[in-house]
Amino acid sequence: MKDNNIDHIIELSNELRWQIGDEFHDNLTESIYADAAEIVKDSVKTQDGEKRFRLDAKIDKIVTSKTWGFPIMFLILGTVLWLTIVGANYPSSLLASLLLDTVHPILRSGADSVQMPWWLSGFLIDGVYLAVAWVIAVMLPPMAIFFPMFTLLEDFGYLPRVAFNLDSLFNKSGAHGKQALTMSMGFGCNAAGVVATRIIDSPRERLIAIITNNFSLCNGRWPTQILIATIFIGAVVPKSLSSFASLLAVIGIAVLGMAFMFGVSWALSKTVLRGEVSTFNLELPPYRPPRFWKTIYTSLIDRTAIVLWRAIVFAAPAGAVIWLISNIHVGGDETIAAWLINGMDGFGFLLGLNGVILLAYIVAIPANEIVIPTILMLTVMVTGIGGGAGAGVMFELDSINATGDILKAGGWTLLTAINLMLFSLLHNPCSTTIYTIYKETNSVKWTTVASVMPVILGFVVTFLVAQIWRLIF
Amino acid sequence: METYSPIFALVIFFIAVALLYVLFRPVKGWFWIIKKAFHTNEKVIIEDVLKQLYHFETSKNKVDMKTLVQVLDFKHADIVEAIKKMTINDLIYSESDVLKLTEEGRDYALRIVRVHRLWERYLADKTGIHKKEWHDRAESMEHRLSHDEAEELAAHLGHPKFDPHGDPIPTKTGKMASVHGVELPLLPIGSVGKITHIEDEPEVIYKQILAEHIYMGSMLKVIENNATRIVFESEGEVFKLAPIVAANLTVALIEKEVVLEDNVARLSSLKINETAKILGISRENRGESRRRLLDLGFVKGSSVSIDLLNPLGNPNAYLIKGTSIALRKDQASKILIKKD
Amino acid sequence: METNVKSACETCGLYNKAGLKKLGIHTDNFDFVVALAGNPNTGKSTVFNALTGLKQHTGNWPGKTVTRAEGGFEYNTQKYKLVDLPGTYSLLSTSEDEETARDFILFGKPDVTVIVADANRLERNLNLVLQILEITDKAVLCLNLMDEAERNKVDIDIRTLSRDLGIPVVPTSARFNRGIPELIQTISEIASGKIVCKPHRIKNVPKNIEKAVKTLTENIEKEFPNIPNSRWIAFRLLEGDKQIINALRTGEFI
Ligand SMILES: Nc1nc2c(ncn2[C@@H]2O[C@H](COP(=O)(O)OP(=O)(O)OP(=O)(O)O)[C@@H](O)[C@H]2O)c(=O)[nH]1
Ligand SMILES: [Mg+2]
Repeated sequence: MKDNNIDHIIELSNELRWQIGDEFHDNLTESIYADAAEIVKDSVKTQDGEKRFRLDAKIDKIVTSKTWGFPIMFLILGTVLWLTIVGANYPSSLLASLLLDTVHPILRSGADSVQMPWWLSGFLIDGVYLAVAWVIAVMLPPMAIFFPMFTLLEDFGYLPRVAFNLDSLFNKSGAHGKQALTMSMGFGCNAAGVVATRIIDSPRERLIAIITNNFSLCNGRWPTQILIATIFIGAVVPKSLSSFASLLAVIGIAVLGMAFMFGVSWALSKTVLRGEVSTFNLELPPYRPPRFWKTIYTSLIDRTAIVLWRAIVFAAPAGAVIWLISNIHVGGDETIAAWLINGMDGFGFLLGLNGVILLAYIVAIPANEIVIPTILMLTVMVTGIGGGAGAGVMFELDSINATGDILKAGGWTLLTAINLMLFSLLHNPCSTTIYTIYKETNSVKWTTVASVMPVILGFVVTFLVAQIWRLIF
Repeated sequence: METYSPIFALVIFFIAVALLYVLFRPVKGWFWIIKKAFHTNEKVIIEDVLKQLYHFETSKNKVDMKTLVQVLDFKHADIVEAIKKMTINDLIYSESDVLKLTEEGRDYALRIVRVHRLWERYLADKTGIHKKEWHDRAESMEHRLSHDEAEELAAHLGHPKFDPHGDPIPTKTGKMASVHGVELPLLPIGSVGKITHIEDEPEVIYKQILAEHIYMGSMLKVIENNATRIVFESEGEVFKLAPIVAANLTVALIEKEVVLEDNVARLSSLKINETAKILGISRENRGESRRRLLDLGFVKGSSVSIDLLNPLGNPNAYLIKGTSIALRKDQASKILIKKD
Repeated sequence: METNVKSACETCGLYNKAGLKKLGIHTDNFDFVVALAGNPNTGKSTVFNALTGLKQHTGNWPGKTVTRAEGGFEYNTQKYKLVDLPGTYSLLSTSEDEETARDFILFGKPDVTVIVADANRLERNLNLVLQILEITDKAVLCLNLMDEAERNKVDIDIRTLSRDLGIPVVPTSARFNRGIPELIQTISEIASGKIVCKPHRIKNVPKNIEKAVKTLTENIEKEFPNIPNSRWIAFRLLEGDKQIINALRTGEFI
């Protein structure tokens, strides 16, 4: 019997295992390395022994030094953000005026000339097209700057040094040092960050990394932060300092996100994900000069295009939904949107936000990028001021001042702005990320935790900030 | 909205938080306590009784109802009820007040012991859960794994013969390997041996041993042995234990002339600009992480030096076989070296 | 071309540039499956991109690739499916992060395994190379990052290395497309059976283990007479590897 023979072989192996003792693995690896050493001795000649490349060692001394390690890290983060914020400004408004002010009217009149029914043109052109156009205008420029810079750093070999520097903090919060790498990936896109957690070899720490990846401010959320910081935070300081102040505010939010990531990792590993920190090992690769143009080209063509495409795919149906809820009436003459906004206004007030913002976040679950235009559109609808393009039409006002005016007319204060920035950091991950989390963990439970926990945190934090703010001012 | 004031809102919020805390705080939260009370069922009591009887039997002690009630953490009435049931089911019988296991009862008890020790082995080899927690987790797991699951687990672990404390794991058919060695205080000065068992009860003494960082499978050499203390050297460090603590360590003498390396040190003690040769990885480092270290080149004979110091002190990067590899301090402390 | 040294073959054909077509993601109707294995950060994805024309993400840190990627190329009218794998340090472990790669190398039955190694750190890379050579005899060592090795003054005698390992060794700098033609040519020759390798088997095994391995190997070979890697299976059985035990039961090993 074949099966019997196989069972016999397995029995035999179990028996032999106990005879040769538990050093088997060690012995085998040692033998392999001994073979390797012999082969290498035969065929490889090195000039300076096992010394690492000189220049590498010098760079490493600086970027991991006690005095310079952390300042350099923040300086690099700051520079990347600064270039993204400042550099994206101009192309962004150019795209906005092209797609929204020029192409949109053309499409509209085109639709009129072929006598498209109002609801169809409204649905397609004011709903779907505008959402897509907005996403392109707002997301493309920062992404086209952020991704290549990030890729250059990645190719140079700097990321593992960040993980090296930060590991002690991760260790203290019960997490894995490689979470620094997945966190960095998350600054681009949380879904990508979640997939990248596969490099973490212990299941407990990997789960922590997955759940907390959402605290890395992703590309869909940077523009919101930047816009709100520019309008409201930049306005409270003298003009000459305003862009610096808004940069600081955005960096502050990003750093706060990291603080939350450490805190939540710590809390998780003290409660539901209890267990000792397991091992950590990280190979520090040699520095490699990145190939500048090729990197820029590929990250523009590949990464940017792919993420953008995803955003568009999700933005289109969201745009349609926005248009629908603000044009379909329930009961009397209240639209679904108005009805929902009124219903949520009280809760929104408690959080220092308002019903409009909450509704916008519900609509924007598929793509965080469309939060701001949704808010603007809904605000116009509720306050009834002019400036928009009609019910359910998403738009971006070309001038930041005009945007600010509309929001202030909608009852926004500095508190609303701050809490919106906080809530943009602390809310549920986008639908793609949720789906990715489900695929990676294969567990409804953890997917739910990862999706709901940040919102609850967001509620708590904005609530506390709102109450304290109101007590003080 | 008229009643709103920030203070009022905050007060309600903090009351809610406090309530949630009381209900759900780890271990002592009311919710957990109630849940646990709900879950102590008869099966658990029966199995714990069997296990206790088995342990008393192997240590050649007699046990009656009173002692049993003392050692078990259940309500008196529940235990009495369980014992009645067990007698009816022929798992135990009593002989002039002394409770004894029937053949069937012993088999059952062995199965529980098997699951317990397998689970400890699993926790040790495959998870990062701390030693201190192994016992308690295994205590609850032993009632939950079915026979097939236990077999699956055993196969997954490669049919281990000993649990991480060195206690033998009963096989499927109830056979057990024996532990080699004698209690440490019985060894004469100068003898060289390997730790084959660390007793995990009583807990105070076990904790003390853990705190000393004495590991299963480590080699040791007795330096001093008298009524007040026992001093031995292991993995480059000198340990001093009271005889009562040392008695919890079982050591198998090494017959052959093995030279215990002098000047053994731990990788974590390496200073910058020093180089060293690797002697091996401490037995304490098991399973996946041990394999990974070996694969990364931390094998006997490789030379190693510090490549980078961490700005926060931990982890440091070590240069090994031409590559810089960062390791946390606790891992580095389990790699044994000899400085050049 | 002078670096293109083959161990078992003296009649190698020359590289036929016109015969190469990068097929991108089109991998249907392939004739051969080629796996790209190797330590992390040795340039597997870069080699993959060079061969298929695709743009698999690369990055200078170990662990960039975490899922397997497939692409195709056509050479001399034969179609090849190329599989880019996450980096692995070893096939001996059971760690989760290396599972994808390990599974494919062991059970994916590739026709050719291209082992990408870092020329600057050959010794540590050989750990994996020697393990793979226990499993398959259709392998080629792609000695990548040769440009860096030259800069670091690491001098490798390709001919000796190839003789010691018993498989062809092709030095490359994938980033600059150097050595890629030779690699393609070698892959095609191994696939078609023109090159027959006699791979190195692990030697320095302690006596007691060698004895146990021998006993097991004999038993395995009695059961499966034509199996090329009975020794590897014996190693894994001694380790108690469940996957191998299952594979033995179902008979689906390489
Ligand atoms: N100088 C030089 N750099 C190279 C060469 N090949 C690859 N690289 C660089 O090495 C780094 C790693 O390359 P990858 O292709 O991502 O390595 P990989 O083996 O796929 O890595 P993992 O997916 O993490 O296992 C990248 O920054 C490449 O640009 C080469 O031949 N020369
Ligand atoms: Mg790769």
